[in-house]
This record gives sequence, C-alpha cells and structure tokens, in this order.
Amino acid sequence: MLSNLSPRNLLGKIKALPARLRSIHWFDTLLALLRRPLVLTLIGIFILLVLSAGSYGIWLTQQPPKQPIQFNHSLHLSFGVQCLYCHPGAWKARSAGLPTETKCWGCHQQIPIKDANQQKLADAVYKDEPIKWVPVFILPDFVYFNHRPHIAAGVNCETCHGELSREITAQPRKGINMGWCLHCHRTRAAGDEALLTRLQDCGTCHR
Amino acid sequence: MNKPGWIGQIEVGNPFNEASLYKWGMVIDQDLCTGCQACVTACAMENNTSFVGEADAGYGRTMHWLHIERFWDGVYPNVKLTSYQPLLCQHCERAPCEPVCPVFASVHSLSQKTNLQVYNRCVGTRYCANNCPYQVREFNWRDYAPPEPLPNMFHPDVTVRRRGVMEKCTFCLQRLLQAEDKASAEGRVLADGEVITACAQACPTGAIVFGRLDDPESQVSHLRTDGRAAVLLEELGTLPSITYLKGGSSYGRNR
Amino acid sequence: MTRQISRRQFLKAAGIGAAAAAVLTGCGPESRYIVREPYTRMPEYTYNGLSTYYASTCRECPAGCGIVVRTEQGRALKVEGNPNNPINYGKTCARGQVALQGLYNPDRIRKPVRQVGRGSQQYSDITWDEAIKVVQAALQENQPGQVAFMLGMVPDHLFDLVSELCVALSAPPPIRFGAHEIFDARRTLSKAMEQLFSARAFPYFDLANADVTFSFGANLFETYLSPVAFSRGFAQMRRGITGRRGYLVQFESRLSQTAAVADEWLPVTPGTEALVALVMGRLVAEIRGSAVPNAYIGVSVENAASASGVAATDLQRLANIFASASSPLAIPGGSALGSSNGLEAAQAVLALDVLAGNLGKPGGLFLSPTTPVLPELPQLPNTLAEVNDLVQRMQAGEVKTLFIHGINPVFELPAALGFAPALAKVPQVISFASFPDETSLQADYILPDHTGLESWGYQKAIGGADRVVISGFQPVVAPFYSTRATADILLAAVQAIGGDLATALPYQDEVEYVQNSLLSLVTLDGFFNAPEIKTFMARFQQFGGWWSTQPQLDTPAGVSALDQPLSASAASFDGSGEFYLFPFMSPIFGDGSGANKPWLQETPDPTTTVMWNSWVEINLEKAKLLGLEDDDVVKIISPYGEIEASVYRYPAIRPDMIAIPFGQGHTAYGRYAQGRGVNPANLFSLKINGADDLAFVATKVSLEKTGRKRVLSRLESKLGVYGE
Repeated sequence: MLSNLSPRNLLGKIKALPARLRSIHWFDTLLALLRRPLVLTLIGIFILLVLSAGSYGIWLTQQPPKQPIQFNHSLHLSFGVQCLYCHPGAWKARSAGLPTETKCWGCHQQIPIKDANQQKLADAVYKDEPIKWVPVFILPDFVYFNHRPHIAAGVNCETCHGELSREITAQPRKGINMGWCLHCHRTRAAGDEALLTRLQDCGTCHR
Repeated sequence: MNKPGWIGQIEVGNPFNEASLYKWGMVIDQDLCTGCQACVTACAMENNTSFVGEADAGYGRTMHWLHIERFWDGVYPNVKLTSYQPLLCQHCERAPCEPVCPVFASVHSLSQKTNLQVYNRCVGTRYCANNCPYQVREFNWRDYAPPEPLPNMFHPDVTVRRRGVMEKCTFCLQRLLQAEDKASAEGRVLADGEVITACAQACPTGAIVFGRLDDPESQVSHLRTDGRAAVLLEELGTLPSITYLKGGSSYGRNR
Repeated sequence: MTRQISRRQFLKAAGIGAAAAAVLTGCGPESRYIVREPYTRMPEYTYNGLSTYYASTCRECPAGCGIVVRTEQGRALKVEGNPNNPINYGKTCARGQVALQGLYNPDRIRKPVRQVGRGSQQYSDITWDEAIKVVQAALQENQPGQVAFMLGMVPDHLFDLVSELCVALSAPPPIRFGAHEIFDARRTLSKAMEQLFSARAFPYFDLANADVTFSFGANLFETYLSPVAFSRGFAQMRRGITGRRGYLVQFESRLSQTAAVADEWLPVTPGTEALVALVMGRLVAEIRGSAVPNAYIGVSVENAASASGVAATDLQRLANIFASASSPLAIPGGSALGSSNGLEAAQAVLALDVLAGNLGKPGGLFLSPTTPVLPELPQLPNTLAEVNDLVQRMQAGEVKTLFIHGINPVFELPAALGFAPALAKVPQVISFASFPDETSLQADYILPDHTGLESWGYQKAIGGADRVVISGFQPVVAPFYSTRATADILLAAVQAIGGDLATALPYQDEVEYVQNSLLSLVTLDGFFNAPEIKTFMARFQQFGGWWSTQPQLDTPAGVSALDQPLSASAASFDGSGEFYLFPFMSPIFGDGSGANKPWLQETPDPTTTVMWNSWVEINLEKAKLLGLEDDDVVKIISPYGEIEASVYRYPAIRPDMIAIPFGQGHTAYGRYAQGRGVNPANLFSLKINGADDLAFVATKVSLEKTGRKRVLSRLESKLGVYGE
C-alpha cells in the first residue's frame, strides 16, 4: 500500500484525474440516482421541511407582538372613549403618541382592580415605571408621517388603523404600503393642482 | 410667468408646474460673511450629520453640507484671503445631478422647487456627485455612528443616513414642511422670514438670507437685484437658486 | 443502496428551515421589536409630537449669549439664539451650536468619585452625602486662609455665592481666571479706562454705527469679549447705516480671521501697536490743523514707521482716512494688549478715540452699564499676577484645600507658572468638573457639576451689550447623570455646618440663592415687569433672562485724557530665538473647552481649514528659505519648554514670526480631545504687562527640523494652494 503513495505513483494518479473525471457520465449517474425511490422520498421530505419552516416563519411575522399589558381597545371604545382622548397628538402634531400612565390612572385609580392587566397598570404607576408598549402600527423607514393634516382633512382614524371597535388588541395592518398611501393622496386631492403636486412630491413624505 | 431679474442669463421658460406655491431661494452676502463657521456647525447639528474623523477628513470625505471657501491671493505683504464664500447645494433649476441618477433619488421637488435627495432610493452610484459642478454632494463612505449618548441629539425629523447614500443640503426641508403645515393649519400663507434654514438662523452677521423667490416683496427677491449680485458658474447654465453678493467693495449697493 | 438519513443530515435540514424562518420573520412586525416608553408623568406644557423650547444661556465662552434650546420628549435637539437677548439677538457662534455635544458627550463624569491616587484614573464611588461631608469638613476644619477657590471666567451666580462664602469664612476671595483672560486682557482694558477717564467701568465699542474702524489686534469676530455682538455690529457697519459702507483696518502681525474680513491688514512688528496708535493720533491732529495734544509729544512718524514696519506713506494715508471719517472708532485687543507694553497700547488706542471725538457718540466709545445685581462684587476676572500669588501660596503649602470649578488650569495656564507642581503640594483638591480634564485628573475628589444646559442660575453681561443684561440659565433637560449643582453642594455643606456661616448664607439651595440675588431687579423697569419675585422668576425663565429696554451707556469723561504724554516704550521679549511666538485663541476651540466636541474638531479653522489637529504657521517665503514644506514636523523651543507641530506654510504672517493656535494639545479631556495637537502654553514666558495681565506675545522661539512628517487634514485642496 505504501508503495502506492510513492511520488511517482501519486503524480501519475493526479495526472490521470482529469481523464477519470471526464470519463464519469455525470448526467447518467444523476438520473440513475433519481430513479431510486429512497432518494426521491428524501428530497421530498427536505422540500416539505423547508416549506413548512418558511410558512411558520411567515405566520410568525403576521402575529401581533406581545404587549406588556393586553390592552383591550374594543372595550374602551365601547365606553365611549374617543381616539383623541388618549392619543391627542394626532390632532395638532405629527405623532399621535401613546398615553402617559397618568392618563390611564385618571380613570383606573377609581376602578376596582379585577384582573391581572389592571394590576400590572397599578404596579407600574406605584413604581413610577413606564409601560413598555410595543408599537403595532409602524411605518417603514424613511417615511415621515404627519397626523395633523390627515385629521384636518377629515380622514378617520379607522381608515388606516382599522376598526378597533371590533378588535381586542390592535393588529398590524396588511397592505399599508406606498401605493396604498398614494391612491388616497391622488383620489382625494383630484382637482386641486397645488395640493396634488404637494401630495405626490417625494420630499413631502420622504426627507 | 415672471421671474425676478436673473442676472443676465439664458432666458428659459419654467418647465415645472406653476401651480405649486413656494419657490425657495437664498442670497449670501460675501461682504458680511466673517468665516466664523456658525452656519457649518448649525447645519450639522440640525441635520444629524456625522463626523468622520481625522483620516477621512484629510482624504476629503467630510460630511460638510455647507463649507466656507476661501483662497489665498497675493504675496506677502500684499496678501489676503478672498472673501469668505459659504458653499452649499445651489438647488439649481437645471441641476446637473438630477438627470444622471439611475434610480431617481436626486429629483427636483415640484412643490418646494428645491433639489431633493431621496435616501431610500439612493443606491450609491455617486454619479450625481460626479456631475455636480459645485462639488457640494457628500457620500457616506462608512457608517459613522457616534458613541452613546451622542445619538440623543439627533432630530427625529431628519433621517440618519447609513453608509452608501449620498446626502447634501436640503434647504432644511424639515423646517419648510413644518412651517408650511403650520401655515396651512392656520389657513394662511407663510410670511417672509417666518421659516429660515438653520444656517441663516445662526449666521451672526445675517450674511445668509433665505426666503421665497416667488414673492417679489421678500427680502431675497430684493437682494437679488443688488448691483453686486452674481451667480456661481453662471456660464454652465445651471440656474442656481442661490445668489451671491460680491464682497470687498461698495459698488452697486442699493443703499 | 439504502441509506438511513443520518442525524447530521436531519439537523442540517432543520437548520436551514429555522434559518429560513429567521430570515422570513425579518419581514414583519415581530422583527421590529422596538419598545416605546411614554412618560409616566408628562409635564403639563408638553404635547406629543410638538417640541418644547427652553430659554437659557450658552456657557461655551464668557460672553453669555442667550439661547433657546429645542427639546422633544426630554432630549435636547438644537441650540438657537434667543431673539430677545440684547447680547446676540438670536444669533449664535459655532461653539454655541455644538454645545449639545458637551451635554451628550460620552466622556462625561457620571457620578461623584474619589480618585485613588491623583492621575491614576482609578475611581471609587462615593455618595452625594459623603461628598457633602467632605466639603463640609474642608470648610470647617481648615483655617480661613487655607481654603482657596478657583473659578472660571463666567461672571455667574456661583461666583457671587463663592464670593459671599469667602467673606463669611474670612477666606481670601475666589480667583476667577481662564485662557480667555490671557487672550482678552479685560483687566488691561479696564485699567487703561481708569487711567484715561478715571472711570471704573468696562468699555463698550459701538461698532454698528462706526464708518471707519481701526482695530489694533482685536479679534472681533473670533473670541474677543463678545464675538457674536461684534459680528452683528460689523454687519451693520458694512451695510452702511451711516450712509457709507464701513471700513475696517486691522493692525495685527498675523492675518487672523478678523484681518481676513477687514478691508486692510497691516502686519505690524509685535509690540509696536502702541506706537502706531500714537503716531496715528499725532497725524490725525496735524491733518485737522489743531494743536497736537500733549499725549503725542515725542512721537515721530519716522520712528513709528521703522519700528512697526508700516511705511510712512501708509501711516499718512490711514491717518487721512481716520481723520475724514464721520464716526471713526479705534478698538484695542488681542496681541496689542498681549505685548509687554499692552497697557500703553490700550491707552494709546483709547486715546485715539478721545482724539476722534467719538466719546458717547454713535459709533464711538462708551462706558458699559454696571450691573444692578450684587454690583459690589468684582465684575472682572483676576490678573495673572493674582493667579501667581495663589500658585505661590499653593507651592508654599499654605493652601490645604483647593476647590476648582469652570477652569482647567493645568491646561490653560502657562506651564512656566508651575501650577501643576504647586497643585501636587495641595493636600486636598476638590474638582467640580463635568469632564475628566487635565486638572480634574489631578484632583482627589471629582464632584461633577451639571453641564451648562442642565443648570439653573444667571450670568451678568460685562461689555457685550449696550444695556444691562442678566442672562438666565435653566435646565433644558433633566440631568441624566448623578451630577449635582456646585452651588447646591456648597449650600448644603454650609447648612450642615450651621452657626454663623449658615446665618450669613441662609439659602437652602441654588434656586433660592438665585432668587435672592435677583430681588433687586423686581423693582426696576425692564423687558418684563412683575409684582413680586416668584412671578419675576417665572418670566425670567420664560424669556431667558432680564434686560433693560433702553440702552444705558454712559459717556467717559475724556476732558483731560490727552493732557499727559502717553508713553510707547518698546515691547520686551524673553528668549533669544529667531521667531516671535504668536499664539492665538482658535475661534473653533476657544480656551480649549471645545476640543472634546467631535463636530468642533471637524470644523475647519477659518484661515487654514485644518481639522482635528494643531499646526504652526510659518511665512511662505521664510519656509522656502529654511527648506520647510507643508506637514513637516518642527520642534519649537522657547526658554520655558518645547513642542512639536506640523508646518502650515502661511502666506500672510510676518517672516520673523510663527503662530500656533491655542485650544488643542490636551493630554486628557476625553477621546476626541486627548492626544491631538499641541499646547503653546508650554512655551509661554511669564512677562506681564503694566496691568499684570500675561503678555502672551513676549516670547521668542527657535525652530528645529525633526525630519518627520505628520499630515494635516485640511478642507482646502492641497493642490495649487499657492498657485503652484
């Protein structure tokens, strides 16, 4: 065996490698392999695994993030609380904002604590710690949205944020992309040249 | 349409939409500029500009959206520096940087009549900087993230740029939009001097004047007709929105 | 062949699946897992999405311009000028703009510490209660003469408080000094005013209404006194309020930024500004045909021309310009005051104003108003001679505890003064610095003060405005490190000591002290009025200070100012080297406090455009003679020290002179300042002028080539700078 490894032999083997490779009929070997049912089954299982992992991943992306307190929008709306009461920034400024704890506590300090969520709120207020909300309605990078002109133009909160009176926790919305924004910008501003120019200008939303 | 007196130029019709309201422009008086760099730092602070460090700065890769030009002139003892000249994006009406962008990141804003840089489209070909005759466009060669807690001073209304995008003066677009929003909320038109760029606000001598060129009564419109007025690289026909008033003499002063 | 699927292959497949899942989750809300923490208790006047603006005062230099800071959600975003403040009327300079990088600097000291071994940078944490006990012990256990306070240039409430504290303790009054006093020489100006006009007041130069201004070395638009106010005045002068475009002539040995903007620049021999001013006076008197006043007896044009290097024809021409101007003005400053004959120079230039007849007239010389807030306390900083006294006492071991606030003496003072070795002799050094600078690194305790943007207080305007201005401080953000106001620490210690001391200073905290000091303003007529102190303080914070609505400038009594002959002795210099050393305060770094702000490091110097470094300016032709090229490293040797710097071949400086900017060359002070550039203060001689201020243009140095090169980063192109 060792004599096989002698330099002359090795050199000969290396020199013979290209010819040996070329002599293998790769395509035929592959086809022969594919005809084996076991190989086919393995490939099939592999594709299924990738697809299922992928669709699990996609399903994961569509889940709303977990909030520190499962705030029930529909319940509060059913009591007649207006959007602008908790999110006043929408009326006059660019960002609607999240309510401060004092806003929640204004009512909840008079409401007897009946469930875990209310208890969490009370704990946060007494410890003077902020509640770490995870924002659900996030626009992509480079988009600068200004609430004020939209509210002033009479656009309802539900138009973009969905019917929160029918959802318990706020859900991420599907299909909020630039085309969707532009569609509204174009149709609502039709007829007013100046407004149309402004609403379709790149600089208005992307700075 | 009427254009307030261009200083002897190629007369062209405005190819853009007339219906949009404001046309922003600037006049820089070089007789007043003291070269103090207040505008340079004000712009950097307003627009979340990154600092690049000594090596890159020496290599010409600073992120100064606005810099002060000056040159040595003469031989000692009759030597001086030429008038300080703040140089920033001229927001040309026929900007050479606009037609060359393959992805339309450098476009002319129809509503502000300024030259925009849309960061989300930019892929970093740097063709626009190549074409700019004033060499005022800066490219983010690296990620220049400053250490904590410096990012706390970044404005939320201005994009913080990552590597690979071009940037340049935007005439403080965030201020313009905010002021226009406020004016439309109050149902009125913007008054002259109500919104100014960060550089104009900081300049201690008031050498930089910013305002509406479409308003013939605004200060910029008046100053543009000054006898000392000139436009940079006029022969290239870029039609900049910035007019410079030559320094060093009293010739042609309207006062 | 049959094969079992191996475990490895299964894991690989699952891994790819998981990777795919991970990649794909990057596409949805789950990935953007950012968290928003709204206020627990939002301040009433804050509105989501709208910014809140606070009026305060800039603390980057002693001028005290009013600023308005935009904040959002508790973070400071931008500094703008306060449009109502009469010092700057809404304008700022480069240093004020970058103040935020001091507030959010990564190298700030975040809590009170005790340094275990000076210079070791090994710190052990202490609580604020322990810190106050240390201060209390220092004040109680030392003899009055053994406690010393060293404060910075800003004439603020802390200086007033410490002055009162020292009186109550029978301790020597605090020393107030800084590099700004070295280069501005306010005491020289003030003494010249006293000698000429018998007035103990600071001069006010009405640049706005002048039509011809002769500036003798004054760096008006860079760092001198109140550069933003001067710049505004200059703009009005150039715009021709008088009907004629203003004309500025600069007499300075080196073309500074101010000289670059001037209409004429004359490179006078250092120390001859006094002579030139005197000969101007003589010539102007002769042109007018009036008798030459006694002040100018003994002044000859030939003498002045040969000594200063300005041709006699030029002197005559300039005198004509000055004489025919309708509102001429002469301003002394900078290197004129910084020569050994600086007091004579100040007197000569101010005498020119008397001769011009502009005292109390628009475009002329006035007396600044005195402040109504605690006017009995000194308004101006100390001289170098007084600082030297302190250093001598420290060296002799007479000072047991030294408190330092607002100044970095190890860096700013000339090395020859020996402050650093004297500091080592002081048993206890307590620093209130916010940054680990050269001096605080030699302290035993660092009890960090809030930065200027997080502080309460007030500052008096001395010389920058034409009316009384008390500029106010208020925190624009809540202090986010464990820092405490120095005034609070001192008052807490005083209260803990109790007894007579607490009776003499019956204030619980800084805000109470500020309120008490400003009581005298409530009855005065000003920008706003209030019936009582609480409303007054609310409006004081809203507007960022209090000031009068009318100018309150007095006219100096110049009747007999020109009756005595004025002397112009030649300036003297230390050292035998070939070159005069001309240090100048960098308009970007100021007294060096700007060096830790990265954006200031990246801001190009107005005349050389060099960034991130310091340099030595050598005349272009002289450099050719010596065989020096740009970026060559040379050693500069004075009798007191030596430094190395890269060469910048500067076309507009005298061939017998080299210039080095002051402000770089830190050996500490954070990552952006440390190890950059050189400090020319290591070369300074200790000559003082007639007013006991340092003569910083009094050293002669020699140059040595080192054969090395260190490239300077410049904004200007290196090609074709000199027409090559």
